[in-house]
Amino acid sequence: MTGAAMFLIKKLSSLATVVFGVLLLTFLLIHLVPGDPVEVMLGESANMADREALRADLGLDKPLIQQFGSYLAKLAHGDFGRSIHTKTPIIDLIKTRYPATVKLAVLSLIIGLIVGVPLGIYAALKANHWQDFIVTIVSVRLSAMPAFWLGPMFMLIFAVWWGWLPVSGMEPNTSIILPAMTLGFGLSAILTRMTRTSLLEVLNDDYIRTARAKGLSEKTVIFRHALRAALLPIITIVGLQMGSLLAGTVITETIFSWDGIGRLLVESIEKRDYPVTQACVLIVALSYVLVNLLTDILYQLADPRVRRA
Amino acid sequence: MRVFNAIIGFCLLFLCGGNQLNAGQQSDAATAAAPIRFAVAQAPLNLDPRYATDAASERVNRLIYHSLVDFDAASKPIPKLATWVAISPKEYRFTLNKSSASFHNQAALTAHDVKATYDSIKTLKDSPHAAEFTNIAYIEVIDESTVTFHLKQADQHFAAKLIIGILPKGLISKNHDFSHQPVGNGALEFVSWQNKLSLKRTTDGQMITLTEVKDPTVRVLKLLRGEADLLQGDLPPELVKHLQAKPEIIVKASQGANFSYLGLNMRDSVLKNLKVRQAIAHAIDRQAIIEKVMVKNTRIAGAILPPEHYAGNAGLKPYDYNPTLAKQLLLEAGIELPLKLIYKTSTDAQRVRFATILQAQMRPAGIDLEIRSLDWGTFFEDVKQGRFQLFGLTWVGIKTPEIYSTAFGSQNFPPNGFNRGRFSDAELDSLLAKEDWPAATSRIHAQLPYIPLWYEGQFAAFNKNIKNYLPKPDGNWDDLATIAYKK
Repeated sequence: MTGAAMFLIKKLSSLATVVFGVLLLTFLLIHLVPGDPVEVMLGESANMADREALRADLGLDKPLIQQFGSYLAKLAHGDFGRSIHTKTPIIDLIKTRYPATVKLAVLSLIIGLIVGVPLGIYAALKANHWQDFIVTIVSVRLSAMPAFWLGPMFMLIFAVWWGWLPVSGMEPNTSIILPAMTLGFGLSAILTRMTRTSLLEVLNDDYIRTARAKGLSEKTVIFRHALRAALLPIITIVGLQMGSLLAGTVITETIFSWDGIGRLLVESIEKRDYPVTQACVLIVALSYVLVNLLTDILYQLADPRVRRA
Repeated sequence: MRVFNAIIGFCLLFLCGGNQLNAGQQSDAATAAAPIRFAVAQAPLNLDPRYATDAASERVNRLIYHSLVDFDAASKPIPKLATWVAISPKEYRFTLNKSSASFHNQAALTAHDVKATYDSIKTLKDSPHAAEFTNIAYIEVIDESTVTFHLKQADQHFAAKLIIGILPKGLISKNHDFSHQPVGNGALEFVSWQNKLSLKRTTDGQMITLTEVKDPTVRVLKLLRGEADLLQGDLPPELVKHLQAKPEIIVKASQGANFSYLGLNMRDSVLKNLKVRQAIAHAIDRQAIIEKVMVKNTRIAGAILPPEHYAGNAGLKPYDYNPTLAKQLLLEAGIELPLKLIYKTSTDAQRVRFATILQAQMRPAGIDLEIRSLDWGTFFEDVKQGRFQLFGLTWVGIKTPEIYSTAFGSQNFPPNGFNRGRFSDAELDSLLAKEDWPAATSRIHAQLPYIPLWYEGQFAAFNKNIKNYLPKPDGNWDDLATIAYKK
């Protein structure tokens, strides 16, 4: 068996363990938090007999371990159950909400990379000059701006004053630009700082000096040699940030009325819609684990030393 | 560079794809009348009236379905789909109006549909409304337009409870998914529900869409940008004033009937003392709060039901703001000052703002109020379980005076009612049993199991090209049945 296959098997088995842990923890936590799903469904005025009948009907009168077992069995068949409030099959909610989050996350990441990495390279090349100083100030300011402030500012400028883009919502498709900018600019600030620092470290290495001494063009030195080596910490940051973006960015999704998984999760917690909360947490955990796996694979591609190890 | 070009290309494709879709949508829109777009703080959760309990669902369901009974301005039950007569204290006969419209699927609305609707509520294990109708023994269809409800026990308020929208029997028997594809016979017909709820008015085909926009600032921006035509309620007063100053926006206000109050835990060793409760009532300057941080038309409240309600009590004198008297009452009660109290509220920004104002107002009276802002689920669970000293809530859409029994009767502690403060008073129980509402409300006002605050004013803001819309006292959206673009 090749090293790459072993690596994948190892990672996938740890993924399964993490997912099982998440399932167990979520299940237990949901049963520990205050609030009774039967009361959520029937309201305060229901009589005791009706409550007990529904409790039995939902299997909530059974021992916890038995409830967990039947939850896993249903899950294995792709059955997440139904929302307590809307009676919608949860799988349908996930099918509509998760792609919206993925779409927003991908576009935000693209904006973050397009803005952040070139600015970081530029700042590193102009280190300790006024250009570097300006980039640093802008990136620090951007990373300090919370989404609940930056989002409405973008709405005011790009939608209300200039009329270029819609304020919020899912339609038309251009409505994704403002939330993606809100998330992407925050991400770009982090990437700018990280790229600058990482590239500066590499630029002082001996092999870069050697490459320059060999007469290679500055473009080749930076993009072929230095940037590749500087990529590792950037990949780590991108992986972590992508995980958070896929977990749903609750504030941005709420401000922009973006029907993503983060908003669904928070709403389900507020309304004590336990089956929806469980399903959302599972999806979020899976996203994190898969993105981490992808990050590890990218690490291998970017750095042959990791592959050999 | 190639990578950079690929990324740019991807973005262009992404946006162009969207624009092509828009163009398609626009051509569809061009063939139909422009929809009236209503931005709401909370979208409906469930369009099946047998399950809906949240305010947004009930407001939409009133428009999609018609019920047997509705209420007049004094909240007295009046005929909607049917007139009724009490044959005996335990028998109510309803006769459908000849003009009762057919369902949106063209099926005629008959007494069989009425029976099927209420029978199904009784048999649904998970309907939150089932408990309200446990008193129905059986329902008898007399003929196509007449139905009799036979009760287990006499109930003179029974007719006022029949406000659930009527569903077609044929679809009930097929377990139709009314939650997402409602079929009613109301003024608005369901069209679709994907991101936004689209409804069509049956009289003229006018499309109306409801979109959830949680953030109040964003709702206002959408109205100003022209992405929404109408907003109602749920805005802080400063945003309402901002809209009032805009020439392109019309703001209409009306008196409200939803009652805000401070709940008190009567099992608390300090709060069970009447003088302490009176001190709290005198420590709040309601008038100042109404003038400074509430929307127009908010008025001081004396009881759950407003004075214009048929069971309202206009004679209740509000507790005036008098921190000196409040302090004196606390000293008379033997309280060591400052009195430390915990006030629980939700995380809603306006609620937290009220809490901080109350905290500041109570300080000169010798009350040190600690604010605990909790997420809605935890907060409401604490209220129901009696884990509080003080809390702030609002009763929304209350129509019948039976609320006084369920909220203050000594037999109505949760889970058997809404007496969350665990108030117990034999004299009040006796007045409630006699349904002597003026005396009962006076007793409640004197005993202060809660501190009445205000009936918040209602308002709607819309573009100046919109007409025929007025906010209603209970915040319902009934005027969506008449709203129109100015020609």
